[in-house]
Amino acid sequence: MVKIGLEIHCQLTKLESKLFCPCKADYRSFEPNTNICPVCIGLPGSLPRLNQKAIEKGTLISLALNCKIPEKISFFRKNYFYPDLPKNYQITQFDAYGHTSIGNNGKITIEGKEIRITRIQLEEDPGRLIYEGTSEKNKITLVDYNRAGTPLVEVVTEPDFENPKQVRVFMNILVDLLENLGVSEPSLEGAVRADGNVSIEGGNKVEIKNVGSFHDLEKAVHFEITRQQSLVERGIPIELETRQWDDRRKITVSARSKEEEQDYRYFLEGDIPWILLDPKYVDQFKQNMPESIASKRDRYIEQFKIPAQVADVLSSDKFYSDLFELAHNEKNAKEVANIITTDLMGFVDTKEKRQQSKLTSKHLSDLANAIINNTITRNSSKSALQEIVKTGKSLNEIITELDLGHVSDEFELSAVIEKVINEESIAVKEIKEKPETVNFLVGKVMKKTKGKADPSLTLELLKKKLKIY
Amino acid sequence: MVSKEEIERVAKLMRIEVDDHVVHIDRVQKMIEYFDILDKAGIESEELIVQEQTIENLREDKYVPYEEKLIEKLKNYKGTFVRAPKLI
Amino acid sequence: MNLEISALKYLDEIKNENFTVEEFISKTIEHIKKIDGNLHAFLSINEKAIQQAKEIDRKIKSKEKIGKCMGMPLSIKDNICVKDTKTTCASKMLEDFISPYDATVIKNLKSEDAIIIGKTNLDEFAMGLTTEFSAFGPSKNPWNTDYVPGGSSGGSAVSVSALECIASLGSDTGGSVRNPASFCSTVGFKPTYGLISRYGLISYSNSIEQIGPLTRTVEDTAFLLNIIAGQDPMDNTTIDNKGENYLKNLDAGIDGKKIGVISEMTKNVDKEVSSATKNAIVQFEKLGAKIEEISLDMIDYSVASYYTITATEAGSNLARYDNLRYGYDFDLEGYEFNSYISKARKNFGPEVTRRMILGGFVPSAGHAGKYFLKALKVKNKLTAEINEAFTKVDLLISPTVPILPFKFGEKIDDPVALFLIDFNTVTANLTGKPAISVPFEISNGLPIGIQIHANTLQDKLVLQAAHALEKTTNLPGVSI
Ligand SMILES: [Zn+2]
Repeated sequence: MVKIGLEIHCQLTKLESKLFCPCKADYRSFEPNTNICPVCIGLPGSLPRLNQKAIEKGTLISLALNCKIPEKISFFRKNYFYPDLPKNYQITQFDAYGHTSIGNNGKITIEGKEIRITRIQLEEDPGRLIYEGTSEKNKITLVDYNRAGTPLVEVVTEPDFENPKQVRVFMNILVDLLENLGVSEPSLEGAVRADGNVSIEGGNKVEIKNVGSFHDLEKAVHFEITRQQSLVERGIPIELETRQWDDRRKITVSARSKEEEQDYRYFLEGDIPWILLDPKYVDQFKQNMPESIASKRDRYIEQFKIPAQVADVLSSDKFYSDLFELAHNEKNAKEVANIITTDLMGFVDTKEKRQQSKLTSKHLSDLANAIINNTITRNSSKSALQEIVKTGKSLNEIITELDLGHVSDEFELSAVIEKVINEESIAVKEIKEKPETVNFLVGKVMKKTKGKADPSLTLELLKKKLKIY
Repeated sequence: MVSKEEIERVAKLMRIEVDDHVVHIDRVQKMIEYFDILDKAGIESEELIVQEQTIENLREDKYVPYEEKLIEKLKNYKGTFVRAPKLI
Repeated sequence: MNLEISALKYLDEIKNENFTVEEFISKTIEHIKKIDGNLHAFLSINEKAIQQAKEIDRKIKSKEKIGKCMGMPLSIKDNICVKDTKTTCASKMLEDFISPYDATVIKNLKSEDAIIIGKTNLDEFAMGLTTEFSAFGPSKNPWNTDYVPGGSSGGSAVSVSALECIASLGSDTGGSVRNPASFCSTVGFKPTYGLISRYGLISYSNSIEQIGPLTRTVEDTAFLLNIIAGQDPMDNTTIDNKGENYLKNLDAGIDGKKIGVISEMTKNVDKEVSSATKNAIVQFEKLGAKIEEISLDMIDYSVASYYTITATEAGSNLARYDNLRYGYDFDLEGYEFNSYISKARKNFGPEVTRRMILGGFVPSAGHAGKYFLKALKVKNKLTAEINEAFTKVDLLISPTVPILPFKFGEKIDDPVALFLIDFNTVTANLTGKPAISVPFEISNGLPIGIQIHANTLQDKLVLQAAHALEKTTNLPGVSI
């Protein structure tokens, strides 16, 4: 039997400031070492100042993963030396004296399988190491501390996964959930990192570290299972060890053996008094919890009769579901959902495009209403949407500018139809034997009007003209 | 008893090169022996008492850039990075 | 102009224009130059002091708003960060470290127009109680330069008693303010844990230590507390003192107060110290206090608990000194990370090295339960015992140090003998209670101090009792 456990590190990118100082939580746009202060660089005499909101976000995540939240939480020091760790200890959480991490004993069900969450803890991210120089010989190590102190939440699971696919499904759900809670933007580089541990029947547990992107986690786990199984087949014992994920070769390699067992000398961080989490405070969060993805999905299907596939897409992406929530009403919900999942997705498929998009929920509801009221064809609506995303102009402006309005004027339409009948004399002749040829003519009219013609009116007028009933 | 090996292991753990372990063994040994009186304190059933604070006491989540270019006051490499020795 | 004046007297003299700030600062610096070569209270002197004095004089003359300190010269222990000045912790490891920021206490003092006259000597990283462990050589006791001044804030105590400043700030982890205060005949105060911000105090054992003033009079301590005490957003462990004015009603006296004499702390003491303690009890009774004996069982384990906790925390607090971001000049070319920092950290002195080893040993995975958890539990039980005692009495007293000041080299080689010198002072740190050392006697030319404790946030009560006791004495100043 395969047993897989995960440790997922997720940056709380939606926070303004770092975990213990007021430097910026999102370090990504800074020049090296310009997002630092005495606290996050660990200057002598500096002290941590815990971020209030980080406790809130940690509580939210814990609740969403059905964890128990203790009445008091504490911080610990994890002591080890590394150049990216300015104090040579990391402030983290640890359950040495009972449960004092922000969450514990949670669970989440994926594809009918229950995955137990051991613990959720808040901790600080280290800085980043950069290697400069070409050859091995002149390579030098440089440190950028901009990331040091960025708030992280670590989710630790029990070894309850049985195959790599479950790992993938879990990661997708977790990533959606973190986004849905408004605590993180998992799409940012390095925002979600995961370590895993894998063991197969009769073998020791092997840790996999350094999986840079959570997309690779499934691959890493898969590789590791195969590797272990082939060892067993050849009668070679599986060693208790830590292996690094080699991102380029997509394999795990044994981490250079550590001569001594890691001894982190965990002990209580005296600079941060224990924090009382009043049950009333936690209850408040429970009530104000954003709706879960699953509940949103069910609601969309139930209330608006939106197809399950559409509801899936809509509910799991916070950007879309937020738009939907603001744009829809009882009447246009289905149409709004339709626009988002068929047309909009193509226009805002990257983070940059989403940020640049000028589309508001008002645009979206106007557009849906226009389709329902027949003032614009579905065909033209796509061009209008593209223009809105680009310019942010109002729907009316765009309809006028691009001449997208519905041609439902009989007189105007009749002139176009007359023209088409003259041009397509062969098709007109065939129409007696093959009545479906009329659709071809409708298409021609649509083309001439750049899609603006009201299709049902066009059909009606054509039939009248050609005297087919 | 504290052995030479143990002192060596801990010195390594604490990343301090020690030339003469013997000098330290004797003193560290004496100190640790003295700590053994803790065994007689009869405190097994004691609970932990800790300093506590409420959430309101904590720092508001606000970005405040540090007023100075701190890297220039640290050991730096071309004014931008901190340099570290090689990692094996 | 007399340098031997209290802070409050200094303010009077300045207000009455008996001398200018510049005159006083100049004379102080002259005095330091004359005597500090021998006493070695200072590790560095503020070169801009006279310039700063002139600026304050100008403000006074032009009737601009002037801070409460009016240019009085204060010395600061060299483990408290003062912006753009060296902060070495008396360690080769931080020989070249220039702090880019001010500690909160320094910010407060500067905004009240205090002049930081210089940084004072200490045992390296405050680990010791004689200043013999300073990497830059010990300070000497001005009462007898063959004797240690106490420590670790030895330089601070020397600078106050030898008139090299008006008052000083030290730090007290296990008696490091009170011990040298007692040995040099100054007032030394360790406040309730969390009363004074530790932001900018270089941590040794952060869960129990506090910054504390060393002054000529109890009144001066109250004056400084008014400036430096109170909650600080930069330090999560600070507590609300409700804006207490420590000078107000300082002379309330202790008539009717109940005082407990801690029996464990009066058992194994020098006979001169014992006799001084008895005399102090007589004085307290004369002042109207009721005396009883109080026993706290856990005190016998307090020193072992103290050294276990401090070693553990120090091991972690001093880990950041890897010489990568700041420190001293030592090229990393050709070194691998671990071998580089292990070599760089050889610059720690022998005592710090030993405590690092201890700090790796005690909390390491195999021993975590054996030592550290027990130490924490002793700390808890001791706190419970002292809380219980404070339901019966208002104050607890003892001699500050069980023995008289001793000669250099006398105890340096016996770690356990050194441990036991802390016997009377560590309780206040482990329990977070306020405690003060008041100069009480001079025995054969060597000072003896009396220690007074009160309950959490009863810092003012400690000062009131100390003030009352101080008034019963008439001690000579040191002759230099
Ligand atoms: Zn910072």
